[in-house]
Amino acid sequence: MSTKHAGNAARFIANRDEEKWHDQTLWLVRQKRDKMSHSLPEWERLRDLACAIKLYSNSHLDTLLEEFERNAIANGAVVHWAKDAEEHNRIVLELLRRHSAKNLIKSKSMLTEECEMNAYLMEQGIDVIESDLGERILQLMNLKPSHIVMPAIHIKREAVGKMMEEKMGTEPGNSDPTYLTHAARKNLREKFLHADVAMTGANFAVASTGEIVVCTNEGNADMCTSFPKLHIATFGMEKIVPNRESLGVFTRLLARSGTGQPATSYTSHYRRPEPGSEFHIIIVDNGRSDILADSEHVRTLNCIRCGECMNTCPVYRRSGGYSYTYFIPGPIGINLGMLHDPERYADNVSACSLCLSCSNVCPVKVDLGEQIYRWRQRLDAYGKANPEKKLISAGMKVLMDRPFLFNTALKFAPIVNHAPRFLIYNRLNAWGQERELPQFAKKSFNEMWKQGEVK
Amino acid sequence: MSTKDEILSRIRKNTGRRYEMPDLSLEAITYEDKVASFSEILKAMGGEAVVLEKGEDVNEVIRHAFPKAKRIGSTLPEITCATFNPDDVDDPRELNGTDLSVVRGSFGVVENGAVWLPRETRYKAVYFISDALVILLDRNQLVNNMNEAYQQLACMEYDYGVFMSGPSKTADIEQALVFGAHGPMRVVVILM
Repeated sequence: MSTKHAGNAARFIANRDEEKWHDQTLWLVRQKRDKMSHSLPEWERLRDLACAIKLYSNSHLDTLLEEFERNAIANGAVVHWAKDAEEHNRIVLELLRRHSAKNLIKSKSMLTEECEMNAYLMEQGIDVIESDLGERILQLMNLKPSHIVMPAIHIKREAVGKMMEEKMGTEPGNSDPTYLTHAARKNLREKFLHADVAMTGANFAVASTGEIVVCTNEGNADMCTSFPKLHIATFGMEKIVPNRESLGVFTRLLARSGTGQPATSYTSHYRRPEPGSEFHIIIVDNGRSDILADSEHVRTLNCIRCGECMNTCPVYRRSGGYSYTYFIPGPIGINLGMLHDPERYADNVSACSLCLSCSNVCPVKVDLGEQIYRWRQRLDAYGKANPEKKLISAGMKVLMDRPFLFNTALKFAPIVNHAPRFLIYNRLNAWGQERELPQFAKKSFNEMWKQGEVK
Repeated sequence: MSTKDEILSRIRKNTGRRYEMPDLSLEAITYEDKVASFSEILKAMGGEAVVLEKGEDVNEVIRHAFPKAKRIGSTLPEITCATFNPDDVDDPRELNGTDLSVVRGSFGVVENGAVWLPRETRYKAVYFISDALVILLDRNQLVNNMNEAYQQLACMEYDYGVFMSGPSKTADIEQALVFGAHGPMRVVVILM
């Protein structure tokens, strides 16, 4: 296999039933998105506006972040800045220590995954509890998310039932989703009530008001923050939006794109701390300011993490989130991984058929597929180009530059039709491992043209 | 140099082309019969809408919808079927085990069946902790879409507020939809 992605994908598709289920289930979500987008006449205008707002906000981060900070402080929040994952995690730990906290309950946040915060805090003796059901299932199974919005999409109900039987004492053999969800509700209710500190991410941070907005279907962010005396909210700086009017655009696109719903059940606005409580906000850079300088890839900062590019991607649907080597899979993950460390994550750029479906559905118009194409052009510079393909390209160049040689090669090509299978289908021909080669035509188009056979 | 200054100076150094803020004017979707469309969309979100008829008593409607509810919390004086006032407890944890909470919504959004709930109680837990939630809403306070909703919010003060569209839900186990992940399993909006 040519890349790590291809190797991992081979393992995923070995279970044909699960592969089919994964593919069809995510396609169903994509179809729900289409139904939602078709129900709004202004859909394309919303996408244009969302993209234009992000281009504005991400090119004015200096002023907008300072405006956000001023307003958040006026609201009674404490604002911290973290240049990287390490500083972010240290700030969280210091806050926990100051509150003598033994545990932290949190809602889903791709940023804390990015910072590998849970592992860091657990090493320091803090019990970190994920409260989103999918994240909690994965945490108890010691697994990572395979999708950014549907983190446990790859886990079957029987596996969840078995784990919950062990960890929560549910009935043996019962894997009914309603039963399991309500058992988890009961179990996590106790965790909410006994949490020392709450942590959330943010889908949006509003510069003009200093508030943060968190979108969930479960209501777990709101339950997290209802009891402890400290709420820590953390966001990557591209989550900033200029004003509430902009929220009108983004909140209409987010859930419709990601899960095919008109809205998430809860769109929660945190502005001031509850009386007697503290509200701390961490603004995180962790490489984002470097992306600003890369004009070919700066649009990845538009991303609102809806997950739609995964649902629509034929490669993601049929290879699963674990096939990618970066923690965010799918088209956006391929690009973010390359921006983070191109040499380490170059394997993922082949996980794309360049169909551009992702670019066509992205609510904030990130040119995802086009960017992947551009990364492929840079592969050789990173020393990551596939040697076989390089050899083939070099060979093609020799042929293409020499018409006589090209025509001769073409003339003899049909010989392949009669060659023994072992000569054609062997380890050297990666393409032929899963497919049959087409038959070469007896006569080339060139010949047909010259002999007047093309009408 | 502080981290903040370091980050800001890197942003300034790396920012390329500065784009203009777009004009956000938009011809957004509107609904002819707002009450009917709101009810229909809320139902699709898993919630229920009840239009209070003339002469009907809201307390009777609530009791009828929740005959088994024993512990009913509300800070609203007109909700006489409430068994306690959640503002009277000293710790929000004491609200655990509430069967039903009755709260007032500020305005509704037709396009997604959401109701804007600014925190008007002592504890925000009131909106999330009970098994079921009843929201009282003036039927004349319905806006078409989220663009209008945020225009409405521009002149409103709040510490915390949530657009709530139906009950708490999850599909994290094999995409099977289940209501009542953490918050209310049932949400009934009574349009007054």
